[in-house]
Amino acid sequence: MILVNTETVKTQRKTKKKKGPVLNHEGKWGLLMVTPYLLQFIIFIFFTLLASLYFSFSSYDMLNPPEWIGLENYNKLIQDPVFWQSLKNTIYFTVLFVPTQTILALILAVALNQSLKGLKLFRIAHFIPVISSWTVVLYVADAIFNPRFGLANDLLVKIGLQPQQWLNDEQQVIPVLVAVAVWKGVGYMMVIYLAGLQNVPEDLYESAEIEGAGVLKKFRHVTVPLISGTTFLVLVLSTITTFQAFEQIYVMTGNGGDITSAGGPDNASMVLMLYLFQQGFSFLKMGYASAIAWVLFLILFVITMIQVKLQKKWVHYEK
Amino acid sequence: MKKNFHKNRKKIGYIVIILSSLIMFTPFITATLNSLKTYAQYTAVPVEWIPDPIRWENYSDVWQMTDFALYGWNSLIVTVMSVLGAILSCSMVAYAFARLEFPFKNSLFFMVLGTLMIPPVVMIIPQFIIFRHLGFLDTLVPLWILEWLAQPFGVFLMRQAFLGIPKAYEEAATLDGCTPFQTYWRVFLPMCKPQLATLTIFTFMTKWNEIMAPVIYLSSAEKYTLPIGVLQMSGAWFGKEQYLVAAAIMSLIPILIVFLLTEKFFIKGASSSGLK
Repeated sequence: MILVNTETVKTQRKTKKKKGPVLNHEGKWGLLMVTPYLLQFIIFIFFTLLASLYFSFSSYDMLNPPEWIGLENYNKLIQDPVFWQSLKNTIYFTVLFVPTQTILALILAVALNQSLKGLKLFRIAHFIPVISSWTVVLYVADAIFNPRFGLANDLLVKIGLQPQQWLNDEQQVIPVLVAVAVWKGVGYMMVIYLAGLQNVPEDLYESAEIEGAGVLKKFRHVTVPLISGTTFLVLVLSTITTFQAFEQIYVMTGNGGDITSAGGPDNASMVLMLYLFQQGFSFLKMGYASAIAWVLFLILFVITMIQVKLQKKWVHYEK
Repeated sequence: MKKNFHKNRKKIGYIVIILSSLIMFTPFITATLNSLKTYAQYTAVPVEWIPDPIRWENYSDVWQMTDFALYGWNSLIVTVMSVLGAILSCSMVAYAFARLEFPFKNSLFFMVLGTLMIPPVVMIIPQFIIFRHLGFLDTLVPLWILEWLAQPFGVFLMRQAFLGIPKAYEEAATLDGCTPFQTYWRVFLPMCKPQLATLTIFTFMTKWNEIMAPVIYLSSAEKYTLPIGVLQMSGAWFGKEQYLVAAAIMSLIPILIVFLLTEKFFIKGASSSGLK
């Protein structure tokens, strides 16, 4: 939809050119009324972007003015094993989380997109995790994944398996975090998909049925292609937010909100955003943290561009 | 055959949805039951589901023995100030973009679009430094002030709403001698109540649950909002962790009530965020 919007803006611009800019009564009011956004753009976006770029080439501890050191932050970053570890963890987290959440959300939306009894109740059930803060989720998830007295281990022991360490285990921490994040986020994505499914014409299903297509076939050959525009959007948006995941990992792995203890065990769940926070706000290495931010930005930019390029191959646009 | 097919689709639908609703609900039920147990029962292995005795006191103890009420008050201030700022600033900016002609309008609107693409991560540190210079560290101001400067999501939502209103209203208002601001405030704004409700509820949810900004900006405990307030209680309640569960459940109750009362607008907001 963002792309569509730019189209309309382009056509509007053409029509406006003819008239030429005039600062009449209406023009003055218009400018006055967008002032809040202008302020935000100048102070909190334009200025901060420049500052953050400058900091990334500086040594800055907030007590003394920033000092230009050229590429040193970036050089240090390349040789920093924790940075590579957090990059690897971030990618691992995103690659596990985004497809899982997207597929489950689509399946749930398709299941819900019919006149079922108790529809509202089902929708509410899937939205309660969405409206919960990560602090609430921490204690709710603890009821399941507590290594000592959680429900999951209770179940494992009952069926004769070994209890697990879950968040305390280097191998399991990210998959468990992903499971919890999917549990929390899937309802939101499901609602986005439900809105998209409203636009799939019912008669396409009917003609598929006449041709004898079963539930799975219809899902694969009607729903999936027709909803691919929404899927693209969901993928792009959730990749961007997941790459910047902070709150969930900080809350779920940190000890009572202590930021330096988060990301464990032994950096196994250290992600880029958390590392940035520790470097910037705990150790006051604002320059180094800014360099991490820009590297993260660049990686995200490249990934989004790849997604946009690949989109033509699989996203079905109606003519 | 077709009937059969529809039945099948329904059956599968029910199975999927009931199963997943169970997965959604069970952890909440378990946690709520946990919040009513004694510590011994809370940590019992194998798990004892039903609290015996039911300790409602866990909740009143949290209320009396912690700063829960203070954290709740702080959360309320942040949430109310954010909601006010969002509905006023987003609707005003959106009105100008939707209904007025002014210089640089399209370039400015491109900037709003562009803002959406910039990941917040690159702006966090300079924003912190700005607020530090303004003397706003360890106050609630940085948690809500940006909402008064028209965030893009709300601007899009409201712009869409204003675009859908017929031009005749504008002309009538102008004939009556209204300035563009008066037209927006008296005529257009009251016509967009559903979108304003969506924006209100969405801002409420984000701000009530926010963790990152409080972590960055707040240092003294009496300024904490609920999510980090409850999170940092764990130090004081070692060996009484069932209290923490009760505190967490308590912090969920206000937003849960708001959600249940206004579910329709929540769903609208979520679906429009995908269709911006």
